[in-house]
Amino acid sequence: MNDSLYKYLTWRALRSKPRDRKFNFWSWFWYLLGALYFILPLYATFTFSIEMQRDTLSFLAYEKAFADKEFWHTFGYSNLVALLTILVSALLSIPTAYWIRLRLPQARRIVEFITLLPFVVPAIILVFGLIRIYSSSFNIPFTDIALIPPLTNFRAGTTILLVAGYTVLALPYMYRSVDTGMRTIDVATLTEAAQSLGADWKTIMLRVIFPNLRSALLSGALLTFAIVVGEVTIASFLGVPAFGPYLFLLGQHRAYEPAALSFTSFLLTWMAMGLIQLVTGGQGQATGAH
Amino acid sequence: MAYLTLSSISKQFGDTVVVEDFNLDIEKGEFVSFLGPSGCGKTTTLRMVAGFEIPTSGKIILGGNDITNQAPNQRNVGMIFQAYALFPNMTVAQNIGFGLSIRKEPEEAIKERVQEMVNLIGLEKHAAKYPYQLSGGQQQRVALARALANRPQVLLLDEPLSALDAKIRVSLRAEIRAIQRRLGITAIFVTHDQEEALSISDRIVIMNEGRAEQVGTPFEIYNFPKTQFAANFVGSLNNAGAEVVDPANGILSMDGVHFKTADTEMANRKRGDKIRISIRPERFSFAAEPLKDNVVDCTIENITFLGSVVRIQVKIGNTKFNMDTFNNPFLELPAIGAKEKVMCSKEAVLVLESA
Repeated sequence: MNDSLYKYLTWRALRSKPRDRKFNFWSWFWYLLGALYFILPLYATFTFSIEMQRDTLSFLAYEKAFADKEFWHTFGYSNLVALLTILVSALLSIPTAYWIRLRLPQARRIVEFITLLPFVVPAIILVFGLIRIYSSSFNIPFTDIALIPPLTNFRAGTTILLVAGYTVLALPYMYRSVDTGMRTIDVATLTEAAQSLGADWKTIMLRVIFPNLRSALLSGALLTFAIVVGEVTIASFLGVPAFGPYLFLLGQHRAYEPAALSFTSFLLTWMAMGLIQLVTGGQGQATGAH
Repeated sequence: MAYLTLSSISKQFGDTVVVEDFNLDIEKGEFVSFLGPSGCGKTTTLRMVAGFEIPTSGKIILGGNDITNQAPNQRNVGMIFQAYALFPNMTVAQNIGFGLSIRKEPEEAIKERVQEMVNLIGLEKHAAKYPYQLSGGQQQRVALARALANRPQVLLLDEPLSALDAKIRVSLRAEIRAIQRRLGITAIFVTHDQEEALSISDRIVIMNEGRAEQVGTPFEIYNFPKTQFAANFVGSLNNAGAEVVDPANGILSMDGVHFKTADTEMANRKRGDKIRISIRPERFSFAAEPLKDNVVDCTIENITFLGSVVRIQVKIGNTKFNMDTFNNPFLELPAIGAKEKVMCSKEAVLVLESA
């Protein structure tokens, strides 16, 4: 190879490198536009929430909101209900999705249809249905002896109804997260591998399936949490002291505190997402790579 | 009595019969391959031995015990899957020790056995890695170690090399065979790759439509196929229609060209019977020795270079036959269209079924 040709090829090679990694204007444009779409309203809420005092920026709205005992009471209650909902929906979704993948693949479409019903049936219909059915007692057939008293008559009863309602609302998120998680790990083959090594069902679930669904479960749990903490309709009609109705009522009378609380709940959600990323950092790779 | 007996096994899914009246005796330490096309029932048969499917009828006896209806986790059977099936949440060492921990073996014994298995598969440096950090070949070796760690009575391999690239496949199959020989473990290997089955097995079961077509050593299966299916499935084969001319002397005619066969059943046939003959391409050669049984005229139709082998298509009568010859740098090939003489022994002319 003569010297000038070598120089030319070297020059081409050097030139082509930065061209491969060139700035992609449209990628960045759409990325920033998407980011602005989400960030601008948050920014507006935050700036509004710190303008409670005239001509001064302060966290007064936050102080006032957090000083309200009702806030802590409703927030604590909603968190408890969220945790119960996550537990119930996980206990319902995991065995269902597992059994459908393993033994009843023909039932998948029916179950997927059922899990999508909350998108079609409004929450108001659901809560009226719950109140209609559970506001009267369940008697032993042909007698007047009450087996279960009306659930709407006492707080534990309404909490049960609330958790049941939220479990239905969370189904599309929890079930689909779990089902997708199971698809990535090929549960059928892993189950057979564990069985051939002598494992029983309990061991398979606890040592093979659950640990590999950690990431999917946390995603489902986060979405469930976000839905439950902010939900208004079911909580209002059941008359429970939940965070959603509290925020709604606060918004009717005050301006700055609801903005402060909205921003806080966004922060909490983000923290939860960050926590999931932190906890499941290697999990996605572990299940996804081959 | 054989170590593993599959006696009149059948399996039906709804109206579909997947395995039908399957019988097989496997001796201890034997390496048996189930070879057949997709849907022939080989994997279903293997899964019945593993306990993942229960036979519709028949019995499976392992080491003198009837295990037909035993749950998979009650059988001492090791299984290797095509998709590796390593537990993603566990390291290599944890995967290998999983079965031993289920048996509640002491921690020290588990550690010792895991180390032994890791040494066996040559992955000492990777014991602390997760499956996603390993290559496909390494993952399958871990799966092998995991299955062997429990000291199973039978090792079942369900197309374990199918997901690997060609080079790894060849080296890993040799490794599997060497480990199986060293440990003296009984193994059943499912594959649709004839080369894999021929190279690795003590015996091969050729399966077709849920039945065992032929059971024999690789040598028997290749050289003395009993059915047209077995002959066609293993290796290349030339097939042609022919007519019996002289049953007593094994003479038959194909397009007026006479061939002699060593088939023992020829004596039971009548003159004029229509039959089909099969000849392996490598059994033909250019006629250098005129004393061979079958020396026939042919025309060279085509020549294909396949690397170590050169495939020559010749026309004998009105029928085209393939003829394989080993390649060498000094090979003198005839021109296309040239008239030549080719020959084969009478043993090369197989009569597999009546036309």
